[in-house]
Amino acid sequence: MTTTQTQLSANPCSHCGTKAERAHFCPQCGRIQPVSEGTDYFDFLGLPRMLRVDETQLEKTFYALSRQFHPDYFMNAGASEQKASVERSSMLNDAYRTLRDRVARAKYLLSLYGYKEAEKKAPPDLLEEVFELNMQIEELKAARKMADEDEVAEARGALEEALRGLEEKVAKIDERLLELFDEWDRATDEAANEDRKKSVLDRMSELLSHRSYIHNLVRDINEEL
Amino acid sequence: MPVIELSMTGRPKSGRVVGIDLGTTNSLVAFMGADGPEVIRDEAGNALVPSIVYYDNDERRLLVGEEARDRLITEPRKAIYSVKRFMGKGSADVQEDLAMVPFQVAPGSEHVIGFQMGERVFTPPEISAFILRDLRERASKFFGEEVTQAVITVPAYFNDAQRQATKDAGHLAGLDVLRIVNEPTAASLAYGIDNRDEALVAVYDLGGGTFDISILKLKDGIFEVLSTNGDTHLGGDDIDNELIMLIIAEIEARSGSKLDRDPSAFQTIRKAVIAVKHELSSHGRATIAFDLGPALGGAYRREVPREEFESLIGKLIERTLEPCRKALKDANLKPEQIDEVIMVGGSTRVPLVRSKVKELFKREPHVELNPDEVVALGAAIQADVLSGGRRDLLLLDVTPLSLGIETLGGAVAKIINRNSTIPASRAEMFTTWVDNQTGIDVHVVQGERELVQDCRSLARFTLKGIAPQPAGLPRIEVKFLIDANGILTVSARDVRTGQEQSIEVKPSYGLTDEQIEKMLIDSIEFAEQDLSNRQVIEARNEAETVMRAAEKALAERADQLIDSGERAAIRNALGELRGVTAGEDHRLIREKIKELDDASRHLAEEIMDGAVLAALKDRKASEIAEG
Repeated sequence: MTTTQTQLSANPCSHCGTKAERAHFCPQCGRIQPVSEGTDYFDFLGLPRMLRVDETQLEKTFYALSRQFHPDYFMNAGASEQKASVERSSMLNDAYRTLRDRVARAKYLLSLYGYKEAEKKAPPDLLEEVFELNMQIEELKAARKMADEDEVAEARGALEEALRGLEEKVAKIDERLLELFDEWDRATDEAANEDRKKSVLDRMSELLSHRSYIHNLVRDINEEL
Repeated sequence: MPVIELSMTGRPKSGRVVGIDLGTTNSLVAFMGADGPEVIRDEAGNALVPSIVYYDNDERRLLVGEEARDRLITEPRKAIYSVKRFMGKGSADVQEDLAMVPFQVAPGSEHVIGFQMGERVFTPPEISAFILRDLRERASKFFGEEVTQAVITVPAYFNDAQRQATKDAGHLAGLDVLRIVNEPTAASLAYGIDNRDEALVAVYDLGGGTFDISILKLKDGIFEVLSTNGDTHLGGDDIDNELIMLIIAEIEARSGSKLDRDPSAFQTIRKAVIAVKHELSSHGRATIAFDLGPALGGAYRREVPREEFESLIGKLIERTLEPCRKALKDANLKPEQIDEVIMVGGSTRVPLVRSKVKELFKREPHVELNPDEVVALGAAIQADVLSGGRRDLLLLDVTPLSLGIETLGGAVAKIINRNSTIPASRAEMFTTWVDNQTGIDVHVVQGERELVQDCRSLARFTLKGIAPQPAGLPRIEVKFLIDANGILTVSARDVRTGQEQSIEVKPSYGLTDEQIEKMLIDSIEFAEQDLSNRQVIEARNEAETVMRAAEKALAERADQLIDSGERAAIRNALGELRGVTAGEDHRLIREKIKELDDASRHLAEEIMDGAVLAALKDRKASEIAEG
C-alpha cells in the first residue's frame, strides 16, 4: 500500500488555462481533466437525475468512456494526466456500478438529497410472519441437532415455502419501486415543486428500508438452509 | 540500479515492454512480435524457466532455473522452489506449506517470511527477483537491448500484499513494472475470442500453486471481468503432495521406520511423482520407480492406475468447483449461459480436471493453446496495449476481495465490494472522538467476513497532525483507491482547510521501502557475480577455441615447422590452460590463454607464411589460367 497526495480539482485546464468547466477533456488542448469538486454520478455520465435508465445505453456509455479514460492509454502521459485518468476511470466505474442497479441507483439518488441510509425496518404487515419464521428456523436447528431427518425435511419445507413468499414480496416492492421511479421522473420532467419531489423520496426511502429488511431475512434463511 | 546494469552489459536501453508469467512452478517471458505474441526461448528452445533458485553461501554461487533444479536432489537445502506460495505472507500463514518443503525459516519472519540460506536470508520477493532477472536477461539478450519494462501476471485471487510483493520483486530485478495483470484475464486476451459480437467466457486456471476462476464478458474488444474467485493455495503442488504422502506412508509401513523428512529422499520422491502425474495425463497407468539407497529402504517400484490417482485427487479437484459456482453467482449467471470455457495452467492437463470442468459448464473446454504459455502470451498483448501499440483492446478487471475498515467492536465496514471494476475508489469521512485529538487510527482489511479477525489485515495507518479541536469537529476525508494493478492507495485531506492530511502507513505484511532499498544494494553483489560468471564462460569458450587450434597445428604441421623444444613448450602451455579452464577464475584462464598464444606464436607464423605462399602460388596459377 502506498500514499499519494490529494489535490483539489481546479476548473481551468492546468495545461493551457482554458476554462474546461466539468468537461472530461479540455476543449482547447484536449488533455484529460481532473474531476471537479461536487460532480455527482448523473452529471458525470451526462444523465438527467432520473430513475428510469436505459441499461443498454448505459453500458454503451460505460464502454465508450472507458476507452477514453482508462489508465492503460495514459502510460506515456504526464503525471497530472495519469492522475486525472485514474480519477476519471475510477469515478466512471463507481458511477456505472451504482447506476446500473436500480436499488443502488435509488439509494444513491436519496443520498444526493441528504437521506441517510435508513434503518432496516420491518414492514408492519410482516411482523407476525417474522416471528413465525424465527420459530421455524429454531425448529430446523433443533431437528438437525436431533438428527431427525423427517423433522429436518419438514422444517426445511416450511422455510422454503416462507422463502418463496418473501421473494414474492420483494417482487411486489420492486413493482412499487418502479412506479415511484416513474413518479419521480415525471416530477423532475415537469419541474415540480420541492414538496412533491420530497413526498416521492420519502416514500421511496421507506420502501427501500422494507426491501433491505426482507432482503436480509432471505439471506439469513438461505444461510440456515 | 539502471546505471550499474547499463555499465555491466553495455546494451542500449530498450523501449520494449515484455510480458512475464511468474509462475509457481515455471516462469516465462513473451513479447509482441509482428505476427502476434511470442514466447522467448533459450538456445535449447525452452520457453519455461523452472521457478527455482539455488544459492551456495560458501561459494557465493547463485543459480536459477534448470541448473537450480538439477541440484534439488543433491543439495536440497540450498534450493528454493514454489516460492510464489509464500509471497506476501508471514510465517504464521504458511505453517502447512512449510511442513512440505525443506526450507529453513529465518527468525523474525512474522511480517515477511525469510528463508535462511547459509549466512544469508532471502525473502520471497528477492527469490522471485532472481527469477525475474533471469527472464529479463533472456529477453535483453534476445533483443540485444536492455529490457527494463514489464507487465507481470499474478493469480486473480491474489490479495493486496501478494500483489505488492510481486511488484517489489520486479523492482528488485531492475524492472519497471507497468502493470500487474491477473492471469486468467491475460489468458483470455491470448485466446482472443473476440471475433464474435458478444461472448460470456469462463477462464479456469489451475496452476502449480494457485487456482483462479474468472467470468468475462467480451464485447467489441472490451474484456470486462464480471467476477472472479479462487484459492491461492490450491494447485499442482497439492496434487503432488497427495501422491508423495501416499508413497512415504507405504515406504514407512514397509520399513517400519520414519523417513524423517530426509530432504534429499523427499526430492527424489517428488521428482518421481511429478513424472508419474505427467504420464497419467496420456496413459491409463504409470509406474513410479526410484531408489533411495540402502539406508532408506532401497528401491521402490509401484504401478499407479489412473483410477487410483483420480480417487486420490478427487477432493482437491472438487475444491475448485465451489469457487466456480460462487463466481457464476456473483456474475448473476447460470453455467449454461457461459459461451466458452478456457483452460489455463499446467494442471488442466489432468484428465479428471477437464472432465469435471466439462461437467460443471456443460461444454467442452478450450485447450488449443499451450496452457503453460497462454498467460505469458496474454501479458505480452497487454504490454503492447500499455506501450501504445494498440487501442482496439481494453481490459476491465475487478478487485477479487472486498476492502473494509475496522469499526467499533472489531466489526468490518465494507467500503469497496469484491468484483468492483478497477480502478475503484471510495471516500470516507473520519473525525475525532475526544477533544483535542490530533491523530486518527484506521485499520484496513481485505476479505468477505464480518469480523476483522477473520479478514486479512492490509495496513494500519494514522492520520496525523490534526489541529486540536473539540471532538467531532475535524472532518478528514480519506480516499481509498484500488488502482488498475489491484493495489490500494490511500490519500487524505482536511475537508475544511482543503489541506492534504499526512498519513503514516504501517503495512501488515510485506517489505518496507527501507528494506527494499537495502535489498537493491545487496543485489549489486549478485550483479557483479553474474558478470563474473559471464566472464568465466566467455574465457572458457575462448580457451576451447585456442586449444583446439593449437592441437590441430601441433598434430598436422609442427613436426616440419618448429623444433622439439618449441613443441614441448606448446604442449606444456596447452596442459596448463586445460588445467585452469574448469576453474572459476576468468583472469587465470585469460593469463594461460596468453601463455599458450606466446608459446605457439612462432608456429602460427610459420603456418601463416606457408599459407600465404600457398595462396600466392594458387593465385599465380589461376591468373595464368585466366590470362
